[in-house]
Amino acid sequence: MTITNQIDTGLTQSATPPASASGTSNPEVQQVIRRLTRIWGDFEGRLRAVPIIADAHAGRIRLADYRTLLKDHYAQVIEGSGWISRAASSVSRPYLEQRSLFLRHAVTEHRDYEMLARDFAACEGDPNELTDARKNLGSMALSAWMYHRASQPNPFDLLGAMFIIEGLGQWFARSFAEAVTQSLALSDAQTGFYRYHADHDPDHLAELEEVLGSGVLDLPGMADTLVETAAVTARLYLLQLEEVGHYG
Amino acid sequence: MRTAYITGTGTCLPGPAIGNDAMETYIGTLSPAHSRLGRATLRHNGIQQRHYARTAEGQTTHTNAKLATAAIRAALHSARCRDNRLDLLCTGTTQGDLLVPGFASAVQAELGISNLEVASFQSVCASSLMALKTAMMSVQTGQSEAAAVSGSEYSSRWFQPSFYADDYRNNPDPGIEFLRYTLSDGGAAVIVEPEPLPGRRALRIDWIEQRSFADRFPNCMYAGAATNAAEATPWSVYASPSEAHQAGAIALKQDFKLLYELFPVWIGYYLELLDRRQLNPNDIDVFLPHYSAESLGQEMQRLLQATGAMIPQERWFNTLSERGNTGSASLFVMLNDWLERSEPQPGQRLLCFVPESGRALAAFMHLTVV
Repeated sequence: MTITNQIDTGLTQSATPPASASGTSNPEVQQVIRRLTRIWGDFEGRLRAVPIIADAHAGRIRLADYRTLLKDHYAQVIEGSGWISRAASSVSRPYLEQRSLFLRHAVTEHRDYEMLARDFAACEGDPNELTDARKNLGSMALSAWMYHRASQPNPFDLLGAMFIIEGLGQWFARSFAEAVTQSLALSDAQTGFYRYHADHDPDHLAELEEVLGSGVLDLPGMADTLVETAAVTARLYLLQLEEVGHYG
Repeated sequence: MRTAYITGTGTCLPGPAIGNDAMETYIGTLSPAHSRLGRATLRHNGIQQRHYARTAEGQTTHTNAKLATAAIRAALHSARCRDNRLDLLCTGTTQGDLLVPGFASAVQAELGISNLEVASFQSVCASSLMALKTAMMSVQTGQSEAAAVSGSEYSSRWFQPSFYADDYRNNPDPGIEFLRYTLSDGGAAVIVEPEPLPGRRALRIDWIEQRSFADRFPNCMYAGAATNAAEATPWSVYASPSEAHQAGAIALKQDFKLLYELFPVWIGYYLELLDRRQLNPNDIDVFLPHYSAESLGQEMQRLLQATGAMIPQERWFNTLSERGNTGSASLFVMLNDWLERSEPQPGQRLLCFVPESGRALAAFMHLTVV
């Protein structure tokens, strides 16, 4: 079967030449990444208008606002390893290689919430508040959506969601970290999470190309679902930022 | 509807080409710290030489209107177009010589051509494409038989040390110095007609598209306020122009960090355009970006490759490094250079791209050699 063959060549980096592993020559993969990039471009462009981000750039943000953002992110990110693990468990044969990709990401998410906790403490936040941290209204919607998608069989459409969220690190995290640093005279220890992502986010593009080229697009309707999931995730991610501090 | 063709091009790049070592003779020096930022800018923008509409002694040689006029004269000559055939003049510039009235009126006066409709477009780098679009549509709809379109900038007047508030000497701003060491003077023009000239190459204008993202970004390249915060006071609302000047509201500025954030929306727009217009990057013979591939950065090039949207770099044509960045004139300067240096072949397809950081817009134009 073609699917199995593509898996064999797609995800075993050492066994494949870079050209085919990167997927750049695969028009089907390129078309999906193009549609995802359009969604991402629109999403990134809308971030500046989100109140807490606009406040950071205009110097209107207060330390309490930033702490609330860290706390809300903490509550959000702690769910991240949850839905990614759920996604991993929804993957069945013959996609076991792709399952390990989800598992690797679950570990990364774990490190994320630890960084957020350190930043929060450095901003004079009470660690006990994190124990009780609730998801804000947008986070509720975002998490529910992620778990819903992650519960479907072979939920590779979540790769679209991951592309959107990880793209944030590469492009947006730095300018936001600089804006809050300037507004609030923060130290590096207080903005570790954003700085880490600005400096260290891996080339998620290569990983995406690789996994998209590994046969998952052969699943019926997967390309369209993947793009749809990315679009919904982008909208809900904005909602999560718009609703910082609002818990119902 | 008729078809619009670019039948002639012309430029006015005033005076000799000024190399990097000599440029401070023309824009002055503010402090060693300012000059250091300037040298860093030159390493980044790759510009080797440029032109200034002033002498080494500081005497203005051309107003902005004179730059536009000389370029239009050259374009009329190149199109073999008599003055009295011209019925429309569309100008694009970042800032005319006067605050009021419109710049096209000043250019018409300099040209001394009667019976013209005029249209003044004031924006930043893409203002000349806005002007060209009006000319294109006027020709297409039979409202014009021959239109002159200019893009021109007298940028260096902004960059004179006395143009800045007194305390700017002590507070160098990388965004301001970036512009001082990047922008220079020049004009360029094209003539638009409903027929190509027999026996001569012309460029058919297939379409011009532009989109603004001012709904989601603050000002990125701007003059007239001390900062790009929404509540910043416009220069005209200060008690007097001299107060505005001392508050730093007159200087031309660039918000660097914001510039970086504009790339995703520009790329998103480009990808949308490829899909909507069913354009295959491999079918584009020449790509004329008001930008260099190097400045685009590794990440963006990588993204364009991953989306199958990268026009092979050997097809990029760009003369910014030798002509300087002349803002709204730049694209027409490049078109003029390309027509002079290459041997245009019928059927060749050109894609022009002008991102305007001013308040985040991007414009594209598709041309076919006939």
